[in-house]
Amino acid sequence: MDHKEAVRQHATERYLLDELDPELRDQFEEHLFDCQDCAMDVRAAAMFVEQSKAILAEPAVALPVRQPAPATVKPGLFAWLRPAFAVPVFALLLAVIGYQNFVTYPKLTAAANQPQAGPWVSVNVETRGAAPIPVKTSAGEGFGLVLNLPPTKDGFASYGVDLYNPAGKLEWSASVPAASSEEGRQIYIPGRNRVSGTYKLVVHGVTAAGKAGEFTEHPIELQIQ
Amino acid sequence: MQLQSFDESYVERLHAGDFRTQEHFVAYFSELIQLKLRSRLNSPQAIEDVRQETFTRVFAALRDGKLRQPDRLGAFVNSMCNNVLLEHYRASSRSDSLDDDDQPELPDAKVDVLGAIANKQMAEKIRDILEEMPERDRRLLREIFLEERDKDEVCNDFGVDRDYLRVLLHRAKQSFKSLYLKNIEARPPGAVAVGKR
Repeated sequence: MDHKEAVRQHATERYLLDELDPELRDQFEEHLFDCQDCAMDVRAAAMFVEQSKAILAEPAVALPVRQPAPATVKPGLFAWLRPAFAVPVFALLLAVIGYQNFVTYPKLTAAANQPQAGPWVSVNVETRGAAPIPVKTSAGEGFGLVLNLPPTKDGFASYGVDLYNPAGKLEWSASVPAASSEEGRQIYIPGRNRVSGTYKLVVHGVTAAGKAGEFTEHPIELQIQ
Repeated sequence: MQLQSFDESYVERLHAGDFRTQEHFVAYFSELIQLKLRSRLNSPQAIEDVRQETFTRVFAALRDGKLRQPDRLGAFVNSMCNNVLLEHYRASSRSDSLDDDDQPELPDAKVDVLGAIANKQMAEKIRDILEEMPERDRRLLREIFLEERDKDEVCNDFGVDRDYLRVLLHRAKQSFKSLYLKNIEARPPGAVAVGKR
Protein backbone atom coordinates (compact mmCIF):
# COMPACT_ATOMS: atom_id res chain seq x y z
CA MET A 1 0.00 0.00 0.00
CA ASP A 2 1.43 3.38 -0.93
CA HIS A 3 0.57 6.74 0.58
CA LYS A 4 -1.93 7.70 -2.06
CA GLU A 5 -3.79 4.45 -1.60
CA ALA A 6 -3.74 4.86 2.19
CA VAL A 7 -5.34 8.28 1.88
CA ARG A 8 -7.85 7.12 -0.71
CA GLN A 9 -9.00 4.28 1.48
CA HIS A 10 -9.23 6.44 4.63
CA ALA A 11 -6.84 3.92 6.07
CA THR A 12 -6.17 5.92 9.24
CA GLU A 13 -9.81 5.93 10.31
CA ARG A 14 -10.38 2.34 9.24
CA TYR A 15 -7.24 1.26 11.08
CA LEU A 16 -8.36 2.85 14.32
CA LEU A 17 -11.87 1.49 13.91
CA ASP A 18 -10.46 -2.02 13.30
CA GLU A 19 -12.13 -2.12 9.91
CA LEU A 20 -9.13 -3.30 7.90
CA ASP A 21 -8.92 -6.99 7.16
CA PRO A 22 -5.67 -8.64 8.36
CA GLU A 23 -3.94 -8.41 5.01
CA LEU A 24 -4.79 -4.73 4.51
CA ARG A 25 -3.94 -4.01 8.11
CA ASP A 26 -0.47 -5.51 7.68
CA GLN A 27 0.04 -3.56 4.47
CA PHE A 28 -1.02 -0.31 6.11
CA GLU A 29 1.22 -0.88 9.09
CA GLU A 30 4.20 -1.55 6.83
CA HIS A 31 3.48 1.76 5.12
CA LEU A 32 2.72 3.51 8.41
CA PHE A 33 6.10 2.71 9.96
CA ASP A 34 7.81 4.23 6.94
CA CYS A 35 5.57 7.23 6.27
CA GLN A 36 5.79 10.08 8.76
CA ASP A 37 2.66 11.77 7.35
CA CYS A 38 0.51 8.73 7.94
CA ALA A 39 2.21 8.09 11.27
CA MET A 40 1.31 11.57 12.49
CA ASP A 41 -2.19 11.18 11.12
CA VAL A 42 -2.73 7.96 13.03
CA ARG A 43 -1.16 9.36 16.20
CA ALA A 44 -3.35 12.47 16.11
CA ALA A 45 -6.46 10.38 15.57
CA ALA A 46 -5.43 7.94 18.30
CA MET A 47 -4.86 10.77 20.74
CA PHE A 48 -8.25 12.20 19.87
CA VAL A 49 -9.89 8.85 20.54
CA GLU A 50 -8.07 8.32 23.84
CA GLN A 51 -8.79 11.78 25.16
CA SER A 52 -12.40 11.59 23.98
CA LYS A 53 -12.90 8.49 26.10
CA ALA A 54 -11.85 10.42 29.17
CA ILE A 55 -14.10 13.37 28.35
CA LEU A 56 -17.09 11.27 27.34
CA ALA A 57 -16.72 9.24 30.53
CA GLU A 58 -17.16 12.32 32.67
CA PRO A 59 -20.28 11.91 34.72
CA ALA A 60 -23.56 13.68 34.53
CA VAL A 61 -22.88 17.07 32.98
CA ALA A 62 -24.11 17.11 29.42
CA LEU A 63 -21.71 18.94 27.19
CA PRO A 64 -23.32 22.07 25.86
CA VAL A 65 -23.81 22.16 22.17
CA ARG A 66 -22.33 25.34 20.87
CA GLN A 67 -24.65 27.06 18.50
CA PRO A 68 -22.95 28.76 15.63
CA ALA A 69 -23.21 32.53 15.77
CA PRO A 70 -26.24 33.63 13.82
CA ALA A 71 -25.26 34.78 10.41
CA THR A 72 -25.68 38.48 9.89
CA VAL A 73 -28.46 38.92 7.45
CA LYS A 74 -27.91 41.75 5.08
CA PRO A 75 -31.01 43.85 4.66
CA GLY A 76 -31.65 42.80 1.11
CA LEU A 77 -34.26 43.87 -1.30
CA PHE A 78 -37.00 42.05 0.54
CA ALA A 79 -36.00 42.99 4.08
CA TRP A 80 -39.18 45.01 4.40
CA LEU A 81 -41.15 41.79 4.19
CA ARG A 82 -39.98 40.76 7.64
CA PRO A 83 -42.99 40.29 9.91
CA ALA A 84 -41.78 42.78 12.51
CA PHE A 85 -41.89 45.48 9.87
CA ALA A 86 -44.48 44.27 7.42
CA VAL A 87 -47.35 43.61 9.86
CA PRO A 88 -47.75 47.15 11.20
CA VAL A 89 -47.30 48.59 7.72
CA PHE A 90 -50.01 46.38 6.27
CA ALA A 91 -52.28 47.18 9.20
CA LEU A 92 -51.85 50.87 8.44
CA LEU A 93 -52.56 50.34 4.76
CA LEU A 94 -55.74 48.48 5.60
CA ALA A 95 -56.85 51.33 7.83
CA VAL A 96 -56.25 53.86 5.06
CA ILE A 97 -58.09 51.75 2.48
CA GLY A 98 -60.97 51.26 4.88
CA TYR A 99 -61.28 54.99 5.58
CA GLN A 100 -61.20 55.79 1.89
CA ASN A 101 -63.85 53.20 1.03
CA PHE A 102 -66.17 53.89 3.91
CA VAL A 103 -65.75 57.61 4.43
CA THR A 104 -64.03 59.52 1.68
CA TYR A 105 -65.53 57.92 -1.43
CA PRO A 106 -69.10 57.99 -0.19
CA LYS A 107 -68.72 61.69 0.57
CA LEU A 108 -67.33 62.37 -2.88
CA THR A 109 -70.05 60.34 -4.52
CA ALA A 110 -72.71 62.14 -2.56
CA ALA A 111 -71.25 65.48 -3.50
CA ALA A 112 -71.10 64.50 -7.14
CA ASN A 113 -74.70 63.35 -7.10
CA GLN A 114 -76.00 66.58 -5.60
CA PRO A 115 -77.70 69.04 -8.03
CA GLN A 116 -75.27 71.84 -8.81
CA ALA A 117 -76.50 75.34 -8.30
CA GLY A 118 -74.53 78.44 -9.17
CA PRO A 119 -73.94 81.16 -11.76
CA TRP A 120 -73.79 80.15 -15.42
CA VAL A 121 -72.09 81.97 -18.25
CA SER A 122 -72.33 81.42 -21.97
CA VAL A 123 -69.18 81.05 -24.14
CA ASN A 124 -69.34 81.18 -27.96
CA VAL A 125 -66.58 78.76 -28.89
CA GLU A 126 -66.11 79.95 -32.48
CA THR A 127 -65.26 83.50 -31.57
CA ARG A 128 -62.33 84.76 -29.59
CA GLY A 129 -63.50 86.76 -26.64
CA ALA A 130 -61.75 90.06 -26.23
CA ALA A 131 -63.50 91.23 -23.12
CA PRO A 132 -63.41 88.99 -20.06
CA ILE A 133 -66.65 87.22 -19.18
CA PRO A 134 -67.60 88.28 -15.61
CA VAL A 135 -68.56 85.56 -13.11
CA LYS A 136 -69.46 86.23 -9.49
CA THR A 137 -69.38 83.36 -7.01
CA SER A 138 -69.15 82.76 -3.29
CA ALA A 139 -66.12 81.18 -1.70
CA GLY A 140 -66.04 77.45 -2.56
CA GLU A 141 -68.90 77.82 -5.00
CA GLY A 142 -68.41 76.63 -8.56
CA PHE A 143 -69.83 78.08 -11.75
CA GLY A 144 -71.26 76.73 -14.96
CA LEU A 145 -70.17 77.25 -18.54
CA VAL A 146 -72.45 76.83 -21.51
CA LEU A 147 -70.27 76.20 -24.52
CA ASN A 148 -72.01 77.10 -27.75
CA LEU A 149 -70.49 74.60 -30.12
CA PRO A 150 -70.84 74.84 -33.90
CA PRO A 151 -72.20 71.92 -35.81
CA THR A 152 -69.62 69.27 -36.58
CA LYS A 153 -67.13 70.73 -39.01
CA ASP A 154 -63.57 70.15 -40.07
CA GLY A 155 -63.89 66.55 -38.85
CA PHE A 156 -63.75 67.49 -35.15
CA ALA A 157 -64.96 64.59 -33.09
CA SER A 158 -64.65 66.43 -29.81
CA TYR A 159 -63.45 69.60 -28.16
CA GLY A 160 -60.80 69.91 -25.50
CA VAL A 161 -61.56 72.52 -22.82
CA ASP A 162 -58.79 73.79 -20.55
CA LEU A 163 -59.05 76.29 -17.67
CA TYR A 164 -55.97 78.25 -16.66
CA ASN A 165 -55.83 80.17 -13.39
CA PRO A 166 -54.70 83.78 -13.09
CA ALA A 167 -51.09 82.55 -12.65
CA GLY A 168 -51.26 80.77 -16.00
CA LYS A 169 -51.31 77.26 -14.47
CA LEU A 170 -53.63 74.64 -15.92
CA GLU A 171 -56.24 73.87 -13.29
CA TRP A 172 -58.83 71.89 -15.08
CA SER A 173 -59.36 69.99 -18.37
CA ALA A 174 -62.36 68.30 -19.96
CA SER A 175 -63.35 66.70 -23.25
CA VAL A 176 -66.67 67.58 -24.81
CA PRO A 177 -68.13 65.59 -27.73
CA ALA A 178 -68.88 67.55 -30.88
CA ALA A 179 -72.47 68.47 -31.55
CA SER A 180 -74.39 67.28 -34.56
CA SER A 181 -76.23 70.59 -34.66
CA GLU A 182 -75.71 73.91 -33.08
CA GLU A 183 -76.27 73.37 -29.46
CA GLY A 184 -74.71 74.22 -26.15
CA ARG A 185 -72.74 71.93 -23.96
CA GLN A 186 -72.86 72.57 -20.25
CA ILE A 187 -69.80 72.19 -18.10
CA TYR A 188 -69.75 72.73 -14.35
CA ILE A 189 -66.50 73.99 -12.96
CA PRO A 190 -66.10 73.08 -9.27
CA GLY A 191 -65.40 75.85 -6.82
CA ARG A 192 -62.21 74.46 -5.21
CA ASN A 193 -59.85 76.87 -3.65
CA ARG A 194 -60.32 79.44 -6.36
CA VAL A 195 -59.10 83.00 -6.11
CA SER A 196 -60.45 86.10 -7.69
CA GLY A 197 -58.82 86.98 -10.95
CA THR A 198 -58.81 86.51 -14.68
CA TYR A 199 -58.97 82.86 -15.74
CA LYS A 200 -58.43 81.72 -19.31
CA LEU A 201 -60.66 79.17 -20.99
CA VAL A 202 -59.00 77.55 -24.01
CA VAL A 203 -61.11 75.48 -26.39
CA HIS A 204 -59.70 73.48 -29.28
CA GLY A 205 -61.18 70.95 -31.67
CA VAL A 206 -59.87 67.37 -31.70
CA THR A 207 -60.22 65.13 -34.74
CA ALA A 208 -61.18 61.51 -34.55
CA ALA A 209 -57.51 60.69 -35.04
CA GLY A 210 -56.67 62.77 -31.96
CA LYS A 211 -55.15 65.66 -33.86
CA ALA A 212 -55.76 69.07 -32.30
CA GLY A 213 -57.18 71.87 -34.42
CA GLU A 214 -57.34 75.63 -33.91
CA PHE A 215 -58.15 76.90 -30.54
CA THR A 216 -59.91 79.89 -29.11
CA GLU A 217 -59.22 81.63 -25.84
CA HIS A 218 -61.87 83.17 -23.62
CA PRO A 219 -60.93 85.22 -20.53
CA ILE A 220 -63.23 84.79 -17.49
CA GLU A 221 -63.12 87.37 -14.72
CA LEU A 222 -63.94 85.51 -11.54
CA GLN A 223 -64.98 87.53 -8.57
CA ILE A 224 -65.33 85.67 -5.32
CA GLN A 225 -67.54 87.50 -2.92
CA MET B 1 9.12 15.54 18.90
CA GLN B 2 10.62 17.04 15.86
CA LEU B 3 10.17 15.20 12.63
CA GLN B 4 13.41 13.79 11.35
CA SER B 5 14.29 11.97 8.19
CA PHE B 6 15.11 8.31 8.69
CA ASP B 7 18.10 8.33 6.43
CA GLU B 8 21.66 7.05 6.40
CA SER B 9 22.86 9.84 8.68
CA TYR B 10 20.16 9.08 11.19
CA VAL B 11 20.98 5.38 11.20
CA GLU B 12 24.66 6.15 11.63
CA ARG B 13 23.93 8.28 14.68
CA LEU B 14 21.72 5.56 16.02
CA HIS B 15 24.42 2.99 15.43
CA ALA B 16 26.96 5.22 17.10
CA GLY B 17 24.80 5.42 20.20
CA ASP B 18 23.94 9.10 19.94
CA PHE B 19 21.63 9.56 22.90
CA ARG B 20 19.33 12.21 21.45
CA THR B 21 18.85 10.17 18.31
CA GLN B 22 18.07 7.12 20.36
CA GLU B 23 15.60 9.13 22.43
CA HIS B 24 13.85 10.29 19.32
CA PHE B 25 13.85 6.82 17.80
CA VAL B 26 12.31 5.17 20.84
CA ALA B 27 9.69 7.91 21.34
CA TYR B 28 8.67 7.90 17.70
CA PHE B 29 8.29 4.17 17.24
CA SER B 30 6.98 3.35 20.72
CA GLU B 31 3.65 4.93 19.99
CA LEU B 32 3.31 3.21 16.64
CA ILE B 33 4.21 -0.15 18.18
CA GLN B 34 1.65 0.37 20.96
CA LEU B 35 -1.03 1.23 18.43
CA LYS B 36 -0.12 -1.84 16.43
CA LEU B 37 -0.15 -4.19 19.41
CA ARG B 38 -3.27 -3.00 21.21
CA SER B 39 -5.53 -4.68 18.67
CA ARG B 40 -3.53 -7.88 18.93
CA LEU B 41 -2.68 -8.26 22.62
CA ASN B 42 -5.01 -7.99 25.56
CA SER B 43 -2.76 -7.03 28.42
CA PRO B 44 -0.74 -3.83 28.77
CA GLN B 45 2.10 -5.93 30.18
CA ALA B 46 2.21 -8.11 27.09
CA ILE B 47 2.23 -4.98 24.92
CA GLU B 48 5.10 -3.54 26.94
CA ASP B 49 7.05 -6.80 26.79
CA VAL B 50 6.77 -7.00 23.01
CA ARG B 51 7.63 -3.31 22.68
CA GLN B 52 10.77 -3.67 24.76
CA GLU B 53 11.84 -6.84 22.94
CA THR B 54 11.32 -5.16 19.58
CA PHE B 55 13.65 -2.30 20.42
CA THR B 56 16.17 -4.66 21.89
CA ARG B 57 16.36 -6.63 18.68
CA VAL B 58 16.42 -3.54 16.48
CA PHE B 59 19.37 -2.06 18.36
CA ALA B 60 21.12 -5.41 18.19
CA ALA B 61 20.52 -5.61 14.46
CA LEU B 62 21.82 -2.09 13.97
CA ARG B 63 24.89 -2.93 15.96
CA ASP B 64 25.43 -5.95 13.74
CA GLY B 65 24.96 -3.94 10.58
CA LYS B 66 21.90 -5.90 9.55
CA LEU B 67 19.95 -2.87 8.32
CA ARG B 68 20.76 -2.75 4.62
CA GLN B 69 18.40 0.10 3.64
CA PRO B 70 18.55 3.02 6.06
CA ASP B 71 15.54 4.70 4.47
CA ARG B 72 13.50 1.62 5.28
CA LEU B 73 14.20 1.86 9.02
CA GLY B 74 10.48 2.10 9.77
CA ALA B 75 9.63 -1.01 7.82
CA PHE B 76 12.52 -2.76 9.57
CA VAL B 77 11.11 -1.91 12.99
CA ASN B 78 7.66 -3.07 11.90
CA SER B 79 9.02 -6.32 10.59
CA MET B 80 10.95 -6.92 13.80
CA CYS B 81 7.83 -6.26 15.84
CA ASN B 82 5.89 -8.77 13.75
CA ASN B 83 8.51 -11.40 14.48
CA VAL B 84 8.43 -10.73 18.21
CA LEU B 85 4.68 -10.87 18.17
CA LEU B 86 4.66 -14.21 16.42
CA GLU B 87 7.02 -15.58 19.03
CA HIS B 88 4.84 -14.22 21.77
CA TYR B 89 1.88 -16.00 20.31
CA ARG B 90 3.81 -19.28 20.23
CA ALA B 91 5.26 -19.15 23.72
CA SER B 92 4.70 -17.15 26.87
CA SER B 93 8.44 -17.12 27.60
CA ARG B 94 11.14 -16.76 24.99
CA SER B 95 14.16 -18.98 25.17
CA ASP B 96 16.06 -17.15 22.46
CA SER B 97 15.91 -13.68 23.91
CA LEU B 98 19.14 -11.83 24.42
CA ASP B 99 20.91 -12.02 27.74
CA ASP B 100 19.93 -9.33 30.11
CA ASP B 101 23.48 -8.09 30.30
CA ASP B 102 23.53 -7.45 26.58
CA GLN B 103 20.26 -5.67 26.44
CA PRO B 104 20.79 -2.01 25.84
CA GLU B 105 19.10 0.27 28.23
CA LEU B 106 16.33 2.09 26.54
CA PRO B 107 16.28 5.79 27.24
CA ASP B 108 13.82 6.59 29.99
CA ALA B 109 10.94 8.85 29.22
CA LYS B 110 11.80 12.25 30.61
CA VAL B 111 9.42 14.27 32.65
CA ASP B 112 8.40 17.00 30.34
CA VAL B 113 6.65 19.94 31.89
CA LEU B 114 6.20 21.57 28.53
CA GLY B 115 4.54 18.39 27.32
CA ALA B 116 2.11 18.51 30.22
CA ILE B 117 1.01 21.99 29.25
CA ALA B 118 0.75 20.96 25.61
CA ASN B 119 -1.29 17.92 26.59
CA LYS B 120 -3.63 20.15 28.55
CA GLN B 121 -4.04 22.38 25.50
CA MET B 122 -4.74 19.40 23.32
CA ALA B 123 -7.24 18.01 25.81
CA GLU B 124 -9.05 21.34 25.79
CA LYS B 125 -9.07 21.37 22.02
CA ILE B 126 -10.57 17.89 21.94
CA ARG B 127 -13.19 18.98 24.45
CA ASP B 128 -14.05 21.93 22.19
CA ILE B 129 -14.36 19.62 19.19
CA LEU B 130 -16.69 17.33 21.11
CA GLU B 131 -18.78 20.27 22.33
CA GLU B 132 -19.29 21.45 18.79
CA MET B 133 -20.63 18.07 17.74
CA PRO B 134 -24.32 17.33 17.84
CA GLU B 135 -25.31 15.37 20.93
CA ARG B 136 -26.08 12.35 18.76
CA ASP B 137 -22.54 12.20 17.40
CA ARG B 138 -21.07 12.43 20.87
CA ARG B 139 -23.24 9.54 21.99
CA LEU B 140 -22.17 7.60 18.94
CA LEU B 141 -18.49 8.06 19.78
CA ARG B 142 -19.13 7.21 23.39
CA GLU B 143 -20.82 3.93 22.47
CA ILE B 144 -18.04 3.00 20.06
CA PHE B 145 -14.90 4.07 21.92
CA LEU B 146 -15.81 4.16 25.58
CA GLU B 147 -18.35 1.39 25.88
CA GLU B 148 -16.74 -0.58 23.04
CA ARG B 149 -20.02 -1.88 21.75
CA ASP B 150 -20.15 -3.68 18.44
CA LYS B 151 -19.82 -1.03 15.77
CA ASP B 152 -22.44 -2.47 13.43
CA GLU B 153 -24.95 -2.64 16.25
CA VAL B 154 -24.25 0.92 17.30
CA CYS B 155 -24.53 2.21 13.75
CA ASN B 156 -27.80 0.35 13.36
CA ASP B 157 -29.14 1.85 16.60
CA PHE B 158 -28.24 5.34 15.48
CA GLY B 159 -29.47 4.84 11.96
CA VAL B 160 -26.10 5.56 10.37
CA ASP B 161 -23.68 3.50 8.33
CA ARG B 162 -19.98 2.82 8.82
CA ASP B 163 -19.10 5.56 6.35
CA TYR B 164 -20.77 8.09 8.63
CA LEU B 165 -18.69 6.89 11.54
CA ARG B 166 -15.52 7.06 9.49
CA VAL B 167 -16.25 10.57 8.29
CA LEU B 168 -17.10 11.68 11.83
CA LEU B 169 -13.74 10.47 13.07
CA HIS B 170 -11.96 11.94 10.07
CA ARG B 171 -13.43 15.39 10.60
CA ALA B 172 -12.67 15.34 14.30
CA LYS B 173 -9.10 14.27 13.61
CA GLN B 174 -8.65 17.00 11.02
CA SER B 175 -9.89 19.62 13.48
CA PHE B 176 -7.43 18.44 16.07
CA LYS B 177 -4.44 17.56 13.93
CA SER B 178 -2.89 20.98 13.37
CA LEU B 179 -2.68 21.67 17.11
CA TYR B 180 -1.35 18.17 17.66
CA LEU B 181 1.43 18.60 15.11
CA LYS B 182 2.33 22.01 16.47
CA ASN B 183 2.67 20.66 19.99
CA ILE B 184 4.50 17.52 19.00
CA GLU B 185 7.11 19.37 16.98
CA ALA B 186 7.73 21.77 19.82
CA ARG B 187 8.64 19.00 22.26
CA PRO B 188 12.24 17.92 22.81
CA PRO B 189 12.99 14.50 21.31
CA GLY B 190 12.05 11.56 23.43
CA ALA B 191 9.97 13.57 25.82
CA VAL B 192 6.64 12.37 26.94
CA ALA B 193 4.16 14.11 29.13
CA VAL B 194 4.11 13.65 32.86
CA GLY B 195 2.34 10.55 33.93
CA LYS B 196 2.64 8.75 30.63
CA ARG B 197 5.35 6.34 29.58
